[in-house]
Amino acid sequence: MISISKLLCDVDAEGDGLRYDAAEESSKLQIRDTKQQRPVVVWNVTKQCNLYCDHCYAAADTETASGELSTAEGKRLLDELADCGVPVILFSGGEPLVRNDLVELIDYAADVGLRPILSTNGTLLTNERVQELKDAGVAYAGISVDDLPEHHDAFRGQDGAFEAAVNGIRTCLDAGLKTGLRYTTTRRNADDLEAIVDLLHDVGVDRFCFYHLEYGGRGSDIVDIDLTPEERREAVRQLFDLTLQYHDRGEDIETLLVGNYADATYIIEYANEKFGTDHAREIYEYVRQNGGTPAGERIADIDYQGNIHPTQFWQGYSLGNVRDRSFPDIWEDESNPLLSALRNREKHLKGKCADCAYRDVCRGSSRLRVLTVHDDLFAPDPQCYLTASERSDPTPVESGRRRIDTE
Amino acid sequence: MIEKAHRAMIWNYPRDASEQEWEVFIREGRDEPLRHVGSITAPDNEMAHEQASRLFARYATDVWVCPVDAIARYSTHDLDRNAKPVNSDADESRTHEDLSDI
Repeated sequence: MISISKLLCDVDAEGDGLRYDAAEESSKLQIRDTKQQRPVVVWNVTKQCNLYCDHCYAAADTETASGELSTAEGKRLLDELADCGVPVILFSGGEPLVRNDLVELIDYAADVGLRPILSTNGTLLTNERVQELKDAGVAYAGISVDDLPEHHDAFRGQDGAFEAAVNGIRTCLDAGLKTGLRYTTTRRNADDLEAIVDLLHDVGVDRFCFYHLEYGGRGSDIVDIDLTPEERREAVRQLFDLTLQYHDRGEDIETLLVGNYADATYIIEYANEKFGTDHAREIYEYVRQNGGTPAGERIADIDYQGNIHPTQFWQGYSLGNVRDRSFPDIWEDESNPLLSALRNREKHLKGKCADCAYRDVCRGSSRLRVLTVHDDLFAPDPQCYLTASERSDPTPVESGRRRIDTE
Repeated sequence: MIEKAHRAMIWNYPRDASEQEWEVFIREGRDEPLRHVGSITAPDNEMAHEQASRLFARYATDVWVCPVDAIARYSTHDLDRNAKPVNSDADESRTHEDLSDI
């Protein structure tokens, strides 16, 4: 995740400690601390969902799928995750709220020291359910809204899904549960970015996460509606501008980009243009420390059958299964050739990525997208939108490098 | 005295989330052991082999793919409460006679 509001407006948020160094005087853990280097784990607790969305990376279905980890297995898994220092567990799906034991699992996760957060389509969030979730220890709920009502309902496969999701957001906010937007950007909805932020900000939302389309699950079937590099650059710039406009008005919204680390380099260029080299250099230090795309390093996914994946979007390959071997044993086993390659990816990058001046910031971005489009795991990400001159002549980065070299 | 491993047979739960799942084993060089490197979702063994090659086995000497439900797994790992313990009283076939005093 790339926090626009942190990098451009210096607004600190709860999750920033997992992405960037905290201020020197802060009591929060630094990203260099061991615990902050452990992966955030996404657990798809079920494949079942009450909606059928066009872009679902988990290829969720309306029917129950067999092989789900049981409640007892889930608790033992949570013990393993806590024991090895995982900081955050994201309960996802399918739709996690269709699982009857969800509150029990979240309660257990909080008890063993994990920070439980929830990813949901929001349509099943009643007052009673939200209170149970909050009492169990959910720290944050991310609710998916992918467009204004008509398009959202079509995208999500159900009339009324937009209204139900917004009601879910209101219910969470009324209960005092921190709640944010999850928005996957495509050609269908890119023009509505600003309108959706304005609409949900009026509802009370102050955290907005914008996902680039990943080519996993059903997402790989809609590559044709993905943004072109030029459109993507424009959409990202619009979010930078929008964030500044809100902050200039004194409204400290949190805005984040997910899934394309070209954004981490473009925000340096944007800051250089808007604020000058010193600010751009500061951002460079933050995003370089962040380490670029987190697949196989700072994020892990466990699906409903116990298979571990390098990210939640990469469901077609599993490193191993938690029923066979413990999570830390699988995750730390660098004899696995894919895990090893992902963790040393700079050495393998090819094409324009190999010579890119920003390769230590972006680290090649999404290998899953590359694999879907090319026949080569280390080819350039098709979503990269940096210009040739930005890749070869990044003034703020060069300044940053010189500073680091002299330290 | 070395304590024997207490393994149990892991229940054969479904592991094919969307289509057939294949366990993948590779031997990277002729004199190296065959080892497990994870599993791949693919409609058939040819596609599983192709995907394994793209991911990490382009230069491997050998690639074996096996349907996940064709494997019986015995492990000391204890996540699965339905795992069936294996008879640990079975005779140990490996014996050792200390000949140093003879």
